[in-house]
Amino acid sequence: MDIDKFIDEIKKKFPNEIKQTEVVHTKRLMIYISKEALLKVTEYIFKDLGLRYIIVTAMDSKKGYEIIYHFSDDSTGWIINLNVVLPREKPEIESLTPVVYGTEWIEREIFDLLGITFLNHPNPKRFLFAEDWPEGKYPFRREQEKK
Amino acid sequence: MGKRTLVPIGPYHPLLEEPEFFKLYCDGEIVKEVVWETGYNHRSIEKICESKTFEQVFYVVERICGICSTSHPFAYANAVESIPGVDVPIRAKYIRTIIGELERIHSHLLWVGLAGHFLGYNTVFMWAWKYREPVLDMFEIITGNRNSYAMFTIGGVRRDIKEEQYPQLEKLLDEFKPKLDLITGAVMDDPVLHARLKGVGVLTAEDIHDFGAVGPVARASGVDIDVRRDDPYAAYDMVDWKVITAQAGDVFAKAEVRLLELYESISIIRQCIEGLKKEKGGEIKAKVKEIPPGIGIGRAEAPRGEVFHFVKSDGSNSPVRHKVRAPSFTCIPTFRRSCVGGTIADAAISLAAVDPCYCCTERMAQVYNYSTGKRIMNAAELIKLSQKRTEEFKTKFLKG
Amino acid sequence: MGLKEKCFKKSLWLFHFSAGSCNNCDIEILDCLTPKFDVERFGMKLVGSVRHADVILVTGIVTRKTRERLKEIYKQAPKPVVIVAIGACACTGGIFASGYNFDGPVDKVVPVNAYIPGCPPKPEAMLAGIMKLLNKI
Repeated sequence: MDIDKFIDEIKKKFPNEIKQTEVVHTKRLMIYISKEALLKVTEYIFKDLGLRYIIVTAMDSKKGYEIIYHFSDDSTGWIINLNVVLPREKPEIESLTPVVYGTEWIEREIFDLLGITFLNHPNPKRFLFAEDWPEGKYPFRREQEKK
Repeated sequence: MGKRTLVPIGPYHPLLEEPEFFKLYCDGEIVKEVVWETGYNHRSIEKICESKTFEQVFYVVERICGICSTSHPFAYANAVESIPGVDVPIRAKYIRTIIGELERIHSHLLWVGLAGHFLGYNTVFMWAWKYREPVLDMFEIITGNRNSYAMFTIGGVRRDIKEEQYPQLEKLLDEFKPKLDLITGAVMDDPVLHARLKGVGVLTAEDIHDFGAVGPVARASGVDIDVRRDDPYAAYDMVDWKVITAQAGDVFAKAEVRLLELYESISIIRQCIEGLKKEKGGEIKAKVKEIPPGIGIGRAEAPRGEVFHFVKSDGSNSPVRHKVRAPSFTCIPTFRRSCVGGTIADAAISLAAVDPCYCCTERMAQVYNYSTGKRIMNAAELIKLSQKRTEEFKTKFLKG
Repeated sequence: MGLKEKCFKKSLWLFHFSAGSCNNCDIEILDCLTPKFDVERFGMKLVGSVRHADVILVTGIVTRKTRERLKEIYKQAPKPVVIVAIGACACTGGIFASGYNFDGPVDKVVPVNAYIPGCPPKPEAMLAGIMKLLNKI
């Protein structure tokens, strides 16, 4: 896959949804997309282009809750990252599990750690924590850390 | 739908070394559904990493998993070094590769042994673990520890491989080769194993893609991926080797891939020793002043598959966010496809076939003296405490 | 001969409990069984159920989720039973002590009779530790 061609193509296909693309380092591409476009773009990348799903990273950054979906193109070694920013109030996003089967666990894990709700998740249960873990305590949220 | 029976495996089960809980829902002897419960081993490592400096994180990620204790530092080094763009010296690259491949040898042998153990083929278990020992001894010679080698640092490695150690390494490989032939023979030519493992726990290439499974699990299903070749790091693009794949996707294919990979590892290490001889007296560590703000993504091929590290730096001396994806995290869910439809007896080996590593999967997980609230800093104090407690126990039990 | 002496005089059966470890100590325990160290020559062997065990080997930190399980296992063990904490994490919490899922080293949950420090302790150290403990009983 030629990366310039890929960027052109994906920009042409999703002109409104893609906010910005940025080559972070050699072979690392970051695509900033809007929350609503996630399912469509993922479907294109994962199903049509056949890139391999790696993992989802979620973090509490200055912009809000940032979720990064990592996909790998194994023929060239490029990693395509989809970056979605969620507001701090009521963080919600569509679950990817119906498209990418493997994301079920990591979405449950992110709910445990950051309290981000995944809509339409097939199995929204607690993943890592014990039964006696307090409700509403999310260890990766910065404001809770300060308290 | 008929009546379903729940067969629990775990959380503490004689078959498993680590705490994990499989619920097999069965109809008669056929497994209908597998549910996996986790969190027993969650140690909040990602959070701990955020409180350490970039240098210290190496020793934390090393303890994500004791078996693949070099692959995590490897991926982390690739991630951190990509932020300032460090040029790692060639000699350090060779040393890193040697450590990584030695680890693959000991890890695959461990798996072969355990797989044999699960099947009741204890001869293979004893053989594989016996011949694994010299590899661990070699680690002790090179790095000073049998596991958790603490070899890596930002920009290179911490210890050199000395010239007098080359012949020792070569001797190890020479002696290991016939033993590997023996183990390979014991597995590949055994008619019982053929009958037991072929067609069990089959995963297709679509299953692999759906779950994002990696490593030998993917390669046994004909998915030709290997980070060492696809996104080369360390010395892997300087040596000659090939990626092993198989087509069947069953447990036997996975064993085959792992065993044949060992031969490749031997050849890689030999070439790296030659490379070291050429790079005589070279630097082993590049100077890195600071890590600028930015994100780094690093990958490495662990014995179990691709390890993925995501590091975000804000210019301070510790990472703001550190995300770890161990290979087992995407390989374990494939149980749902490989076990379902098989019998309960097959479930055990199907579960074991991906070489699951639960410490890696639940990686997120100072030394304090709880009685005084003080930090215990050195081994001597620890030993003292140990002796004190042992003494207390002795008096309590002997007099009590 | 007291009850304790009688119980621990002959072959010891070990039960291995991994509370929240990094696998390092666990494979070193298994290593003890294999030909190079061969702990079975002392009559020690790993058993599948804690109900058969004389010694419980605990590795790793106790996480919030394993705490109840460890208590349960201890309850099920036939007394007298010896508990050995293996590795730096089981002894003190080690590198993981600052984590949010950490629920204390092993001795906060169940009484520990011997500590074998190290990360991981070498198989020789484990053998030496257990032999030392036996001689003290």
